[in-house]
Amino acid sequence: MKSGKKVLMYAGIFAVLFIIYYAFGHPFFNGNRLTMFVCVMALSVTILYYIARANGGAKIYLRTIPGLKAFDEAVGRATEMGKSVLYVPGIMDMDQVETVAGVIILGHVAKMTASYETNLNVPVSRSIVMEASREIVKESYMSVGRPDLFNDDMVHYLTDEQFAYAAGVDGIMLREKPAACFYQGKFYAESLILAETGNSIGAIQIAGTASPSQIPFFVTACDYTLIGEEFLTASAYLSQKPALLGSVKGQDMGKFIVMIAIVLIFILNGFHDLGWIDIDFQELLRVQ
Amino acid sequence: MFWKRQVPIAIVFITGILTLFGWFVDSPRFESFVNDDATQWYDIIASFAIILGALNLLKLQFLKIVKQKKDWQYSILAVVGFFFAITAGFFWKGANYIHINNVTANVSTVAPVIAEMEQKTIEQVLPLLEGADTYDVGHIFIIKGSAKKYFDELTASGVNAEMKEKSWGEHLLEEGTVFNWLFKYLFTPMSATMFALLAFFVASASYRAFRIRNFEATLLLLSGIIIMLGRVPLGSSISAWFIAYIIVLSAGMGANIIWKNRMTTFAVVTGGILLVTILGWISGWPVDKPGFLYLPVLQEWIYTVPNIAGARAIMIGIALGMIGTSLRIILGIEKSFMGE
Repeated sequence: MKSGKKVLMYAGIFAVLFIIYYAFGHPFFNGNRLTMFVCVMALSVTILYYIARANGGAKIYLRTIPGLKAFDEAVGRATEMGKSVLYVPGIMDMDQVETVAGVIILGHVAKMTASYETNLNVPVSRSIVMEASREIVKESYMSVGRPDLFNDDMVHYLTDEQFAYAAGVDGIMLREKPAACFYQGKFYAESLILAETGNSIGAIQIAGTASPSQIPFFVTACDYTLIGEEFLTASAYLSQKPALLGSVKGQDMGKFIVMIAIVLIFILNGFHDLGWIDIDFQELLRVQ
Repeated sequence: MFWKRQVPIAIVFITGILTLFGWFVDSPRFESFVNDDATQWYDIIASFAIILGALNLLKLQFLKIVKQKKDWQYSILAVVGFFFAITAGFFWKGANYIHINNVTANVSTVAPVIAEMEQKTIEQVLPLLEGADTYDVGHIFIIKGSAKKYFDELTASGVNAEMKEKSWGEHLLEEGTVFNWLFKYLFTPMSATMFALLAFFVASASYRAFRIRNFEATLLLLSGIIIMLGRVPLGSSISAWFIAYIIVLSAGMGANIIWKNRMTTFAVVTGGILLVTILGWISGWPVDKPGFLYLPVLQEWIYTVPNIAGARAIMIGIALGMIGTSLRIILGIEKSFMGE
């Protein structure tokens, strides 16, 4: 049986068992969160299905994202100019998905800097992020056969405080004048301070964040910006691993399902307001 | 390899599944574990992990000083500041205060001294001393020596006073302590300075963003002008009919670009001006009508309809991206964060 169909089979078995469990009074299950549970399971099954299909050899097409293509260009520019690459993985800790995504992308950038023998500078704001980043950069340098170029001090801690960190990174930018600046992670108000300072030193800047309020600042001040979902799927693009590409496809299908659901519920809610149907879909879908 | 690969993946899987399904379990103990205990465990680990960061910071700064690299003098400042903050937080409380006993018998002698220390009037202090046998003076002295004058005054007048110190922890928050002084007079102004830079950076970023390079940039500029004007009192003073005239003139420019004909342009502009004038005259030139041309109404619509629609679309994409990323991490498909 193809792996995609296996996933659907297991999902079907789980669904039947859950329906039986729910019908028998669903002990220990919070019934008010049924809608959320169904949505999470449906999205998870969609993502897992496409991961399984990708692992089974199915070709997954993903559109080109200019920001991701520019990674190589940015590191190459720094190499040609004989300057360093600055990588800022956000100001939050590893409990944030964005920080994890930023650290994963750091691994890919580290592989590029190792291959091109370019200096890499990663100032971090949290100790745990420092340790994780250090590990990932070390592994990246070893994977391309350049462990000699790795130095523990590439990844260094500045401070936990938001504006003190921004001041520290700005100082690094103004003193060392890196040719390429990457801002990949979770940012708050310091995003514009970092991006404008990077702009003032003439560095090529590539930003990526899933913080909606900071995206406009990065779009304005940076050369390339990975907006939201593009940032979170960057690791799939850069690694080209089938499982990761499959998960991106699954996310896209999830978005498609959400779009259809929005239109359907809009229409059905209209019918409810007109009194043609009794079910209040807004109440049914309210998160509790 | 087992401890570096399989064990972390197993930990991530178990905690991920527990936290994910914990949201749906109808058990107060489980909910309390997921919502409170698990996050507190993380806070405790992060608090200890900060030692790693601090040691790394000190190591780099010391190396800079020892090797006398460029701008090594600033590293001395960094190290001194670091140790001073440690001293203020862990060793030197700098949170001394005067504790007065037998207050009731000595209100008249005690009240003026307390009023001077707390920078209040005697009338404000007297109600605080009524019925109180003991009193802790609100003023904090960083060093005991600075309290000597007041202490001597109190003891000379026969009052039983003693110097006490605030407890550990309290000394961080209490107004007037060393640590609080560092926070209020050094850290806060410096943070505010960095934050204030944003005003200038927003202006320079806006200048670059609002240049009319293409259709989207022009749209951004127009929306920016409408929202900026609509949110200030000036915007509510601008009549909707003024905006109507601007639209007519813009339509004239557009007609000229498309048809390149003077008569057509003249007809569009003249017709538009006449129409707006007649409609305005009939309606009595109300400032806020028609509503869709009134700047405060227009900016509210731009902010609450297309802006929020776009933001929600991005947030839906972000939410799906987070679900996908989290699922990959929990199931061990994405292992790069461990250094795969």
